[in-house]
Amino acid sequence: MSEIDMAVIKPEMMKPYVWLQTSDDSIQQVEQEIAMFCPLICQEIIQKGMGSSKNCAICLPQQVSPAMLSLILDYCRFHQVPGRSNKERKSYDEKFVRIDTERLCELTSAADSLQLKPLVDLTSRALARIIEGKSPEEIRDIFHLPDDLTEEEKLEPLRNITADPRIRLLNRLYAKKRKELKERERLKNIEVEEEHVDERSVDDLLSFINGNEGEPKGVKTSKNKKKNRRKKEQQKNSSSKETSELDKKEVNGHDIRHQSSEAERISESSYLHYAEDGTSTPKSDDGDIYDGIDPALKEKIDREVEDFARRLNSDWPERMQELLSSGQDRKTLLFNTDGFLRRHACMFSLVLQYFPFSIICFLAEL
Amino acid sequence: MAYTFSFPEEVLEHVFSFIESEKDRNAISLVCKSWYEIERWCRRRVFVGNCYAVSPMMVIKRFPEVRSIALKGKPHFADFNLVPEGWGGYVCPWIAAMACAFPWLEEIRLKRMVITDESLELIAKSFKNFKVLVLTSCEGFTTDGLAAIAANCRFASFIFLISQVLNLLDFNFVFELVLNKGHKFESKLCLCLVNLRELDLQESEVEDLSGHWLSHFPDSYTSLVSLNISCLGNEVSLSSLERLLGRCPNLQTLRLNRAVPLDRLPNLLRRCPQLVELGTGVYSTEMRPEVFSNLEAAFSGCKQLKSLSGFWDVLPSYLPAVYPICSRLTSLNLSYAIVQSSDLIKLISQCPSLLRLWVLDYIEDAGLYALAASCKDLRELRVFPSDPFGLEPNVALTEQGLVSVSEGCPKLQSVLYFCRQMSNAALNTIARNRPNLTRFRLCIIEPRTPDYITLEPLDSGFGAIVEHCKDLQRLSLSGLLTDRVFEYIGTYGKKLEMLSVAFAGDSDLGLHHVLSGCDNLRKLEIRDCPFGDKALLANAAKLETMRSLWMSSCSVSYGACKLLGQKMPRLNVEVIDERGPPDSRPESCPVEKLYIYRTIAGPRLDMPGFVWTMEDDSSLGLE
Repeated sequence: MSEIDMAVIKPEMMKPYVWLQTSDDSIQQVEQEIAMFCPLICQEIIQKGMGSSKNCAICLPQQVSPAMLSLILDYCRFHQVPGRSNKERKSYDEKFVRIDTERLCELTSAADSLQLKPLVDLTSRALARIIEGKSPEEIRDIFHLPDDLTEEEKLEPLRNITADPRIRLLNRLYAKKRKELKERERLKNIEVEEEHVDERSVDDLLSFINGNEGEPKGVKTSKNKKKNRRKKEQQKNSSSKETSELDKKEVNGHDIRHQSSEAERISESSYLHYAEDGTSTPKSDDGDIYDGIDPALKEKIDREVEDFARRLNSDWPERMQELLSSGQDRKTLLFNTDGFLRRHACMFSLVLQYFPFSIICFLAEL
Repeated sequence: MAYTFSFPEEVLEHVFSFIESEKDRNAISLVCKSWYEIERWCRRRVFVGNCYAVSPMMVIKRFPEVRSIALKGKPHFADFNLVPEGWGGYVCPWIAAMACAFPWLEEIRLKRMVITDESLELIAKSFKNFKVLVLTSCEGFTTDGLAAIAANCRFASFIFLISQVLNLLDFNFVFELVLNKGHKFESKLCLCLVNLRELDLQESEVEDLSGHWLSHFPDSYTSLVSLNISCLGNEVSLSSLERLLGRCPNLQTLRLNRAVPLDRLPNLLRRCPQLVELGTGVYSTEMRPEVFSNLEAAFSGCKQLKSLSGFWDVLPSYLPAVYPICSRLTSLNLSYAIVQSSDLIKLISQCPSLLRLWVLDYIEDAGLYALAASCKDLRELRVFPSDPFGLEPNVALTEQGLVSVSEGCPKLQSVLYFCRQMSNAALNTIARNRPNLTRFRLCIIEPRTPDYITLEPLDSGFGAIVEHCKDLQRLSLSGLLTDRVFEYIGTYGKKLEMLSVAFAGDSDLGLHHVLSGCDNLRKLEIRDCPFGDKALLANAAKLETMRSLWMSSCSVSYGACKLLGQKMPRLNVEVIDERGPPDSRPESCPVEKLYIYRTIAGPRLDMPGFVWTMEDDSSLGLE
């Protein structure tokens, strides 16, 4: 049994100090009880038997300078005292992280290397608070980070993928397929088609439900579904425009007619179907589609847009002149159009149209 | 050397995990290459303000570990029936893509989108850890889809906000499923917020199913946190409700519907005295002293109650029953309460802690004066019109009411105010009194109403608002307005993010001022204004910095739309015209509606027959 093992087993023989070597190669003597708060040090002492003398000082990670060690030990010294209230601890923590950002980062690094999770949490939160509410430039300044995103990447980090014609192609193919399926369905008997689709999903539900709850509910479901379907057809045909926009007391002022027409439902399920067929598409094509855009095409588009924007925005003083001088003309033109007269002729319908505009906030408690 | 050079990635990720807001996350991703990479791998929550601005595959590619996604579809003006049905906003492709890519997805939040039953079924099947579904102002589904969700999801929270008619029988079935699945979970909170409009009672063999769904809550179900049936037209079984409330100790929000009679309210309240938010049912019945004292006692028992709403058909003599809890009230929604100003004054003067008040214009100037005197903490005021279509004012509510509130309530930030007259002087005073306003929406009922004192346009008044309220984020204009007001907005509205304009301006200069001046503009919606091509084309680049621009009944020509679409590949320029293809008319002809939004996904392909996206130069001619 080694000396160290005995030290652990017989507390009265435990040495009160442990030797730690910091990043600058200097070695210090530290109260063992305090140092053991750090999981890494704890591990070194117990598992590897290190630190009992100057010769076998525990070599701390590179991130731990003497200054950082001192701070960390202060932290440990405070928190390892059991009697402290939560309020005390919190107050200490708040003061503890009021240091300049550079030191805070060093501290985070050091604490992480020593696996001292509570301190990592504390410093991380403090850093998060520093970052919050700042612009990218400010963050870069504070943390001395390189400004290595290109102008284009900054403008739109996703731009690289945007103009890729292959994605457009894919989207168009999806749309084409969807339209084809839609056409085909229109030629068939819609009633039959949709019942068929429903039966399948009901069966799915049924089997799941029957697993737990038994028959009766399932039967009820399909019966209801059929009724529901027929009723919706009727509803669709006979429904009139919601007059709720006039009734401000309705919570939802907008039209609540059923949006989905049967054809749409079918086409959408076909779309899903197609997507299911190609479930591997995002993954397998990942390499192809997203890496390497045609750089020439991208360049061309970029240049055109920049040019146009620059042209428009740089000669706006001239445009302003233009606008100012033609402003008068436009006015007379407007006042003579039918549109204007029409509008004035019917104030009531104006108010009606205008109303929903303002009523929104009132109606939307959401 | 970077201060964080020695950080392992996990540490930076850990730091980022404490940063949740989209804005901050976006800032982080633009700092440098390494932060961009780290950030994208640990982003868990994505918000897509316009579902057509980006494709599902792009989101998936960039953020592989997303757990929560929020999508918005139709433009805001869809709420006013300005967007024709069938315009779009289909969530189907998103669900399909995410089903493969995000097996650990937990939350889906949709607003103004079309979601089908198939998509709901796919959600139910694909995401094993699915927890939260929120559908706000969505359509396209039935109770079949909801049943699929209810049957398959082992979620901890189940929320859905519906805005369409549901069949009662089907709904009962869904509800049963929700509850039978829900109560088996060990999760402490099974939040079921049901905001139904109407349960369709067309089934003739159904006798009294109105309370049926409520009785489906099994006796062992005790984890309800929130129940909102305020929009429900049907009656509910009060005995079932009472039993339910009695066994759910975590219930915090209860919003009843109009059909719940007042004399039954005390019994309900006694079952859940821990309530924080209450929406009453109808607030009148025969005046009987014992009913009153019963009600008053029941309210007194609710020591945590902070928010009140409901109050349909108020009988004023019953209002004092809430006095015992008024001192704690922070939110009061009286937008359905037809109550005279004097009664409102008595009520409001008892609520010194009020933060939020929504009320009808029956409050009148006198009531608002009392509000200003009593509620010094007020943050938000909304005054709705009781008779918007009447040609003459029916109440004594003028601009003075708003002026007194602006004087008396130092913390006022958000205003929505309907009135019939306004003056530049009043707006000036309001602006100087309340420079901390962040949301200002003024709706003078009659379009193009001038300053009633000077008969001038209200330009300088709104100008004062934008000049003094430096943090103004949202503004809605009304009244007689010339290009001048837009000059002010462009000059001073530097923090403005959303602007709504109707029946205002004289020329393109107005639009130009806004587009060139408002640095933070994200959403601009315009209707019936004389804005045309010039301003739009001159500020084409600006449009890419905004989420969207809506213009309807303006003077933008088809030719300009084509040009814009051609030259700006990162914009989708949608012409919405129910008169038929714009090609069939001369290019100089103005389009009916125009919706422009920035996108990196290219033109969308799910457009109905009355929407045309202007093609850009680099598009492939596949169709």
